[in-house]
Amino acid sequence: MRITKRSRHAPSRAVRWPRTSVLLAGAAVLLSVGSGSRAAEPDAAATAHAQRIAVTVCGICHGPTGNSTQPKFPRLAGQSATYLVSQLKAFRAQTRGDPDAIAYMWGMASQLDDATIEALAAYYAAQQPPPAGRGADALVARGREIYGQGVPAQGVPACSTCHGADARGQADFPRLAGQHAQYVLKQLASFQSSMRDIAVMHGVAQNLHLDDMQAVAAYLQAQP
Amino acid sequence: MPGRTTVQASRNLATTAILASALLAAPAALAVPSFARQTGMACEACHTVFPELTHFGRVFKANGYVLSNLKKVRDVSGKKEQLLDLSQMPPLSVMAQISYTTMKSGVPDLANAGAPGVAQSGTVGFPQQFSLFYAGEVAPHFGAMVQLTYDSAAGTIGIDNTDLRFAEEMLLPDNGTLTYGLSLNNNPTVQDLWNSTPAWGFPYTASNAAVTPLAATAINGPYAQDVAGLTGYLYWNESLYAEVGGYRSAQQGVTNQLTGGAGPLDGTASNVLSGVNPYWRLAYEHNWDRHTLEAGVYGLDFKVLPGGAPGAAVPLQGPTNRFNDVAEDVQYQFIGEEHLFSILGTHIHESMTLDASFASAASANPSDTLTTTEVAATYYYHRRIGGTVQYFSTTGSTDTALYPATAPGAPGVITSANGSPDSRGWIGELNYLPWLNVKVTLQYTWYSKFNGAGSNYDGMGRSASDNNTLYVVLWFAY
Repeated sequence: MRITKRSRHAPSRAVRWPRTSVLLAGAAVLLSVGSGSRAAEPDAAATAHAQRIAVTVCGICHGPTGNSTQPKFPRLAGQSATYLVSQLKAFRAQTRGDPDAIAYMWGMASQLDDATIEALAAYYAAQQPPPAGRGADALVARGREIYGQGVPAQGVPACSTCHGADARGQADFPRLAGQHAQYVLKQLASFQSSMRDIAVMHGVAQNLHLDDMQAVAAYLQAQP
Repeated sequence: MPGRTTVQASRNLATTAILASALLAAPAALAVPSFARQTGMACEACHTVFPELTHFGRVFKANGYVLSNLKKVRDVSGKKEQLLDLSQMPPLSVMAQISYTTMKSGVPDLANAGAPGVAQSGTVGFPQQFSLFYAGEVAPHFGAMVQLTYDSAAGTIGIDNTDLRFAEEMLLPDNGTLTYGLSLNNNPTVQDLWNSTPAWGFPYTASNAAVTPLAATAINGPYAQDVAGLTGYLYWNESLYAEVGGYRSAQQGVTNQLTGGAGPLDGTASNVLSGVNPYWRLAYEHNWDRHTLEAGVYGLDFKVLPGGAPGAAVPLQGPTNRFNDVAEDVQYQFIGEEHLFSILGTHIHESMTLDASFASAASANPSDTLTTTEVAATYYYHRRIGGTVQYFSTTGSTDTALYPATAPGAPGVITSANGSPDSRGWIGELNYLPWLNVKVTLQYTWYSKFNGAGSNYDGMGRSASDNNTLYVVLWFAY
């Protein structure tokens, strides 16, 4: 039975899209909340334990090295450890509310302690990211344009501003290169509806049309 | 399906083929929310729509039902050995089925012998079945799926499908995995991971108040809950699966006539397995994108002593009937966000060597064959509304003793005028799930052939289509 989303607070409603600089400042503040500073490097026992969990439990969906084959489950190989830590803690705290987070990850993360979360994040960050996927040329080209330049007419900023020109992420901003298009699309839809309640990404996604989302998702999947 | 021993005994059937008709009437069912409570994951992690398993569900089962995200009560020794690892919440579930069944034509009323009367049209099962499950982790590497069922046909509570598992998962080089495990279970294929084998195959639920064909292969239900099997398996990289093991009799509700105890089985018990009988399974699954494809083979080789019945004992010795089943299965699943589609298919070929039955004239031939083919296609939209269409066919040797004609003065219906076991038809089913643990099903079964013929199959004028069955069921679990 699906659990209804907890309404912890009203979703943010950015009426007008602010200038990029304001956005970035807001993003940095929001995304740093909760993630905290990175703990010390996991010890050998924690690393071995995390590898075992990653391969035998997480790996059922995400693939043993985080290169999932099913587009429902995001690829984690090469993902930013900081981002992974913040997400696992958000699952544990049941504050990330997109449907698959509720159905799958709230339970899976519920008993993880901080040390295991750190070690799991380190495991995935150290894995070889997936090779570039495929996408329809026209869609990928449109996606590249949106990713690099945004959609100024709709007040949508360039994704590359935060996620990097090569989409490989940095610190709190997740790696998107090589991610399943379907997963990216679902996340953008969740940001738009605020089920995944991140004010910055809601602001980015609120004016994105479905075909734009599809283009960006296709572009990202095709990046190495 | 408690209480069927009464049916067995009263008919004193010589072979399991005939016995099957009484047993297949109500396939056991499964939906176990205690797994969801234990893992903290929604039904959709393990099921497309219950009880069909996803890849995650298969791995969860192969690993012994032990994946847990619950708080634990623990105990450890001074050497850090785990002595206790107990969930704070017991993995209990309840399940109920409430149903309505009506056949196209009524059946004769035996209480109205000598006059043309029929039994009441329409049967309400309230409940048809009610089950209590213990389903989840017992200890590290040890889990259980135990079903205790009240069955309306018997009016009693009895043991239903049971699967106790021990499993351990090894890490291999290059991040591969190898799971090895043991299953102690009471129904051949109940331990299997795919829905293309009989125990968890379509139809997932059926009426227990309808007439069903005489013949069924040994692996397709007749021995469910009357045997105990210990099997060992290997599951490599969540794709290649190999299992082998043995079954022997573990009959329920049968007593030794001398001691009155639960055993040893004597000549008043029927269909007793002779010693330990092999079961085997090999399957390969490939997952890509949103697709899953499995192909496999499985089978068993049962040697059965016909035995007798209370008051009509036949010693458990001498020649046996041998049922050698070899089957192929295939399963395809597409699991999208909106659309879910699956195909389940199996083909079971049984070779019967009826030394015991032929010697006692309970079969007309020394050996027979029986072949069952089932193919089902299921579609769901958003896991909320969907349906299944299945084609089923059983063909086999004509054997006028094994599939007997109507006796003088008897009403027919469950007999075969020409001694043929051939039956075929279609099942169409519509399902609606207002919530993921509540399912409303409208099911219709069409027979184009029944016990050997399309019309007048029993020699009493009944047509196969007279047994067409409308079945409506509310099925929920919590």
